[in-house]
Amino acid sequence: MTVVTSKVCIVGDFAVGKTSVVERFVNSQFSDKYLTTIGVKVDTKEIDLPQRGVQQKLILWDVAGTDRFGDTEFAYLRGASGYVFVADGTRPLTMGTATSLRDRAFEHYGVKPAVLLVNKHDLTGAWDVSEQRLKGLQAQFGSVFVTSAKTGAHVDDALTHLAELIVDRAIADQQ
Amino acid sequence: MSLPTSVIEHLQSDFVAESRPVCFLVDNEYRLVDFWGDGEWSGLADVPVGADMLEHAPYLFGTLGRNPQKLNYVSTTSGAVVHLLTMPHENYHYVILLDAGQAHDFLQEKQQSWNELRLMHSSQQTLVARQRDLITELVEAKAELDHHRRDIERSSAGKSRFIAMMSHEFRTPLASIINYADLALEPDSGPTEMHKSIEAIARSGRHLTSLVEAILDEARLDAGQVQLRERNFDLFELLDDLAAMMAPLAAEKGLSFATLVDPDVPCHVRADDVCLRQILINLLGNAVKYTEEGSIRLYVTYNDGRLVATVSDTGPGISVKDQERVFRAFERGSDRVGTRTGAGLGLTITLQLAKLMRGEISLDSLPGQGCTVSLHAPVAVAQDSTPDDALSPPDEASYATQQKTVLLCDDDEDMLALLEHYLHRAGYAIVTVSSGTEAVAKAVTFQPDIVLMDINVPGMSGVDAAAALRDRNYAGPIVALTASKLSDAEKNSFTRCFRKPAPMQQLLFEIKQLTHSLDS
Repeated sequence: MTVVTSKVCIVGDFAVGKTSVVERFVNSQFSDKYLTTIGVKVDTKEIDLPQRGVQQKLILWDVAGTDRFGDTEFAYLRGASGYVFVADGTRPLTMGTATSLRDRAFEHYGVKPAVLLVNKHDLTGAWDVSEQRLKGLQAQFGSVFVTSAKTGAHVDDALTHLAELIVDRAIADQQ
Repeated sequence: MSLPTSVIEHLQSDFVAESRPVCFLVDNEYRLVDFWGDGEWSGLADVPVGADMLEHAPYLFGTLGRNPQKLNYVSTTSGAVVHLLTMPHENYHYVILLDAGQAHDFLQEKQQSWNELRLMHSSQQTLVARQRDLITELVEAKAELDHHRRDIERSSAGKSRFIAMMSHEFRTPLASIINYADLALEPDSGPTEMHKSIEAIARSGRHLTSLVEAILDEARLDAGQVQLRERNFDLFELLDDLAAMMAPLAAEKGLSFATLVDPDVPCHVRADDVCLRQILINLLGNAVKYTEEGSIRLYVTYNDGRLVATVSDTGPGISVKDQERVFRAFERGSDRVGTRTGAGLGLTITLQLAKLMRGEISLDSLPGQGCTVSLHAPVAVAQDSTPDDALSPPDEASYATQQKTVLLCDDDEDMLALLEHYLHRAGYAIVTVSSGTEAVAKAVTFQPDIVLMDINVPGMSGVDAAAALRDRNYAGPIVALTASKLSDAEKNSFTRCFRKPAPMQQLLFEIKQLTHSLDS
């Protein structure tokens, strides 16, 4: 099986659950305690994509939450093969931030495989995303996952899907 | 100015003490070529030359370029936080790690507070927005409640008006019943007067019954939903009834009364006779009420499927400006105010009933020249001359042909006596009781062929008594005979249900059917 290493940046507004998503994906753990990320946290996870004959080593760059990219953030994003944009389903403004960050990242480094995670679906009482809004996001991002880092719902699906998109993109680029 | 060596050495010493720099050289494949510094804090101690540095420092991936780079605050998998500097050198890259843990912790503390504040602000904004939404919802709910309240008030007022209207309509037949009863009780009343009086009382009683039924009918409470109930009936008989009802009232005031029927008027017609009767009673009743001398005349014609019934009087008449008002609820002609009792509803009801019959009312009057009011309504000639619910006294066909026992339960002595009389004459053995408890006890003892049960009786209600009888394995038919309206669930307790006053012929026929079918 071919081993492929890819850098993936996880970006989004502050306190949307980026670090929790990574923690869930890498260590299958979750903590209710909110701890602000400063700079960037780097972690790794290897996943098998048997249908593509690839074992992919994802180097995950969990970038500190922001609603706009500056030089520091662009430096973190350099060399990324894909992006995980994260929004908070209980704070509708964070979905707009995700869209804005995606546009800026693509402007700066070109279009890359990306998925949007609308996170915190476990907070049903505070959930504030209509089906119509989700359809709109789907049209913008192509791949949208309603996730819960707390329960783990759809987190692995989203990251695995991104890994597949990255591999497919690499294969397409080679051809 | 150039710094003395001692100062430079001091600065270098301070920098090295705080940043604990680590420097290593890697090739383009990320393999370690050389290493300098204390690697313990950075998790890179004892990494052998030639090792794949991506295994130990995966954050290097993608950072090696043609130009120097600096990435601040990179948290590594070993838990260290570093400032990462990469510098290309020939075919290699220098990588410098500076310990940023202390500065990171300081920044994180500040940023954490700031972010928590923003989150709190965001929650506050959400709450304010939610509060605004709730206030809007409250305002809307209040508006809706006000709307419903107004509806209820309108409905309540309508209901009160309807009850007032119906109360008004009771007066005429009640007056007829009382007057004829007085007449019958007079010592010099002969059998003929007696018989005629009782007939008049029966007619007015039937009319009152139809009014009561109308009130009790919940669907009719809303005047807009009254249903037209057409049936075949004898129009001449209705006109005779009206004459018999009105003539004595007119005579009491010294007025002459005449009914004129055009030869083209059919005898057997199909229409809502209750409506028609009510309209004509109202028009004639008003004429009698407001006329002090002269005559009252009812003239009936029929042309091209339309009946025209005209009531003329020689009363004070109504001015043109008052003619519209008299059809509104609670209003009369201005010259009549204070001169007569009543709710002022007769013509309002009349107009509504005429519209229900798809007809209209016309009024022709001038002050001092009497009043002529006409009903114009479509009335069909009946194909069948048999009235739909002809009332006739019980005949022998409804009598028992076998010895059967009826248990009769009613707390009204008159009703009990009346039913006992008819049942006895029809050939039934009778056990009478006046309470539900007694009915259950006697039914268990006597095992009657049928139980005829009033509902509102002392001790145990008729519904409960029926249930108790079934519990005690009484298998015969139980028939409800009540003035109350039963729910569907209550009706299920009985074999048949009759509303008082029930036509005796029908009741006897049903009793015969139920008791005699037991043997078939």
